[in-house]
Amino acid sequence: MSTGTPMPHEAALELAQRAFALADGDEVEVLAAVERSALTRFANNRIHQNVAERASSVSVRVVIGTRQGVAATDLTGDDALARCCARAREAALRAPEDPSFPGLPAPVAAAPSAPARPSFDLDAFDADARADAAAAIIAQSAERGLTAAGTVSASVAGVAVVNSRGIRSAATRGAARATVLSMDDSGGSGWASWLGADPTALPADSLGDRAALLAQRSAGAQPLEPGVYPVVLAPDAVADLVDFLGYTSFGARDYHERRSFVALHEGEQLFPESLTIVDDALHPAAIGLPFDYEGVPRRRVALVDRGRPAAVVTDSYWAAKLGRENTGHALPAPNPYGPLPLDLAIEPGDATIDEMIAGIERGVYVTRFHYVNVEDPVSVLLTGMTRDGAFLIEDGRLTKPLANARFTQSVVEALKGLVAIGRDRELIGTEGGGSTLVPALALAAWRFTGSTA
Amino acid sequence: MRDIVAAALDAAEVAGAAYAEARVVSERSERISVRTGRVDGIASSETLGLGIRVIADGAWGFAATSDLGAGAVAAAAREAVWLARAAARTWQAPVRLADSPAVRDEWHGRCEVDPFSVALDDKLALLIAAEEALRAEPSVRVTEASLDALSVRKVFASTAGALIEQSHTEVGAGIVARVVTDGEVLTRSYPNSHGGQHVQAGWEAVLAMDLVGNAPRVAEQAAALAHAIPCPSDTTTVILDGSQMALQVHESIGHPTELDRVLGDEAAFAGTSWVRAADLGTLRYGSEHVNVVADATTPGSLGSFGYDDEGVPAQRFDVVREGVLAGFLSSRESAAAIGRASTGCARASGWNRIPLVRMTTVSLEPGAWDLDALIADTDDGILMETNSSWSIDDKRLNFQFACEIGWEIKGGKLGRMIKNPNYTGITPQFWASCDAVCSAAHWQVWGVPNCGKGEPMQVAHVAHGAAPARFRNVQVGVAR
Repeated sequence: MSTGTPMPHEAALELAQRAFALADGDEVEVLAAVERSALTRFANNRIHQNVAERASSVSVRVVIGTRQGVAATDLTGDDALARCCARAREAALRAPEDPSFPGLPAPVAAAPSAPARPSFDLDAFDADARADAAAAIIAQSAERGLTAAGTVSASVAGVAVVNSRGIRSAATRGAARATVLSMDDSGGSGWASWLGADPTALPADSLGDRAALLAQRSAGAQPLEPGVYPVVLAPDAVADLVDFLGYTSFGARDYHERRSFVALHEGEQLFPESLTIVDDALHPAAIGLPFDYEGVPRRRVALVDRGRPAAVVTDSYWAAKLGRENTGHALPAPNPYGPLPLDLAIEPGDATIDEMIAGIERGVYVTRFHYVNVEDPVSVLLTGMTRDGAFLIEDGRLTKPLANARFTQSVVEALKGLVAIGRDRELIGTEGGGSTLVPALALAAWRFTGSTA
Repeated sequence: MRDIVAAALDAAEVAGAAYAEARVVSERSERISVRTGRVDGIASSETLGLGIRVIADGAWGFAATSDLGAGAVAAAAREAVWLARAAARTWQAPVRLADSPAVRDEWHGRCEVDPFSVALDDKLALLIAAEEALRAEPSVRVTEASLDALSVRKVFASTAGALIEQSHTEVGAGIVARVVTDGEVLTRSYPNSHGGQHVQAGWEAVLAMDLVGNAPRVAEQAAALAHAIPCPSDTTTVILDGSQMALQVHESIGHPTELDRVLGDEAAFAGTSWVRAADLGTLRYGSEHVNVVADATTPGSLGSFGYDDEGVPAQRFDVVREGVLAGFLSSRESAAAIGRASTGCARASGWNRIPLVRMTTVSLEPGAWDLDALIADTDDGILMETNSSWSIDDKRLNFQFACEIGWEIKGGKLGRMIKNPNYTGITPQFWASCDAVCSAAHWQVWGVPNCGKGEPMQVAHVAHGAAPARFRNVQVGVAR
């Protein structure tokens, strides 16, 4: 940021406080965000979409008794903010009483300390810098007669939460991300991605190289006979599974409704002891906010602790309803989804990917999945496709490239057969803007149910 | 709004844009939801902003801002030009656009009763009554009722002289009943899953859904699912209801015929297509019963408008005619790449997004069958209703769908209820196996308000007209 320009979280806090001063209710909460983002998108070896956005937003929650109303706007003038506050009040006045509403959260006395993260300078990763990175990624494919597509993006957001109980939380979150798909004319393709808080660390050349190498190796892919195989899942593939676990299983609402396997197996030794899944926005490698959208500090939560389903994340409403600690995982109000983990991680193991592959006589290596969806939330039965680099493993080595294959598999069942966890973790960006910090996994059984070829 | 787009275009030209188009979009929305006896959300929002897209040095750039002050608007225009020039470093040839007339016009969607004029008390009363009616069934553990309203007003202008003002209103509503046993969730929704039915209309459309009147049947079916049989693992005949057919069309015909996907511009995220540009007019997509039309003029549909977000007039055209590929959904740029005129499908999800090739109302035309007669004509198979899960590969070939409910068909009659049925297939083989489509009496336009595409992600509101249809030799009961 240039000298004299407020940091994004300072601008967000100022905006939140302006709206807060205009709101009228027994209790008031204001969530404000001030964001700049840019995305350089390439396909067919040229930048075809190059976009940037500056936006502010304010969301006001007014509480009258136990009745709540929420209104939002991206207009930041005082008149617009006043209209927004009035709409929230009007909604609260019309809402029925909600005896289960515990009140807005109060400041936490002993909050976990947030890690110091480098301030993110979007101006230093401008359109020219992003174009340089994209060009470097593209060159790795183009020089080998391949076609590259992907993104180089960056965003910086200041987020602030102010409420009438005394919460004043503000932080700046910044991240850069790059993705690359490399394709050859015969249908081979490879993928690589990178996410981090420091765009100067983006390894454009090596990222482009990784994807291009995979594309070259996956040329001439053959169909996989449907069946159950041992698999090695690269971090990008693991990230999809963890993302769906978070969505289906680790939130307090679905736990309460007994739609989560955690509710059915809490405390049981369901998985091998080597498996620990946490949500940890405060991890040095994570990029999440140190507080949730109610301004409550995010706590590290061991969701699966040494193989035992152990906990779910909460917000103020669900913590009170379940009689549990508020873990600081609220989404913006009103929130029909309940609290969700946004910074999931699997604790690392001690295996290298080569060691995992070496331990499999006949199996499948998966670079990433595509278009995964839930068929059954309780067992986390997912279906989706492999994409951009799946290989047959024979006698401990990658042998033949495989055409895209469909799987239909319960993640809960698959993790019961966890064989090995990678020692190196990667931060993978999710579609929803969150991230997961995950290693590769070796699983004893994965059900492939079809093939594109 | 007109002044803002004019100022943006002026600033872009001064900055060196060879072409520029600006959109100011104002949206107002409201969402109310009730869940298991509790009003869990009453929320409204308003948004207003500018997006400006330019061509400079032969490449595209786009910038958006919610600050509509004169300085911010000019800065956005300059940034768009800068972005275009940075992109141009990777271009070998300049952007080419298919010709389109510079139109000056207005278009307004139909809406009888403005949903924002209806008292909040009335909306809450409707949802609470519907949700309570679901809870009358004792085994139903989780209940939901929701209502969405959206009002959009936008002004588009270009340096070619276009000036178009459009507005429309959308509503959506639905109810859901879930029976949760240990280890199983059984769901029934009405009028559709994933938020209900969504249309371009007013409050009158919400009332016409009769959520309260349908709630007892929905809850009863959810309860009955707890005693239903699992889906057999088999290869058999399936009849899909209209709402599931809408999603089948969406995923396996709509997306693969988006010309930007065909040309590779969406490769890294949404994927490409099994269809090639050269296949136009020759590719056998399905059986002779398969006739698919894209129609942005369909009244009351989420996929309707007067002009797309490049200012191209709304059109109706064939996508598949008698089973043969007949057209692509296209923008000015993608159409120019194959030497054709734009089919008017460039749509942006808001002021802060560029237009992408999107579906409009992409519909399977009705056939001649009555549904009862079609079931009676089916010796052995499964009738499936209401989507619960969807997945398809990056070329739109290998798909798998799951539905909320099914029924055996034995000897031309519906038999036992089936829980969580699913089916899978390969797009051209599946459509080639279509041997019957039900008549116009069973045909309905289904709104799809959650179509994701692009980076940054855009969520488009599209629609599909469909009637129940029959397919032979379909693999069902995958991993059941």
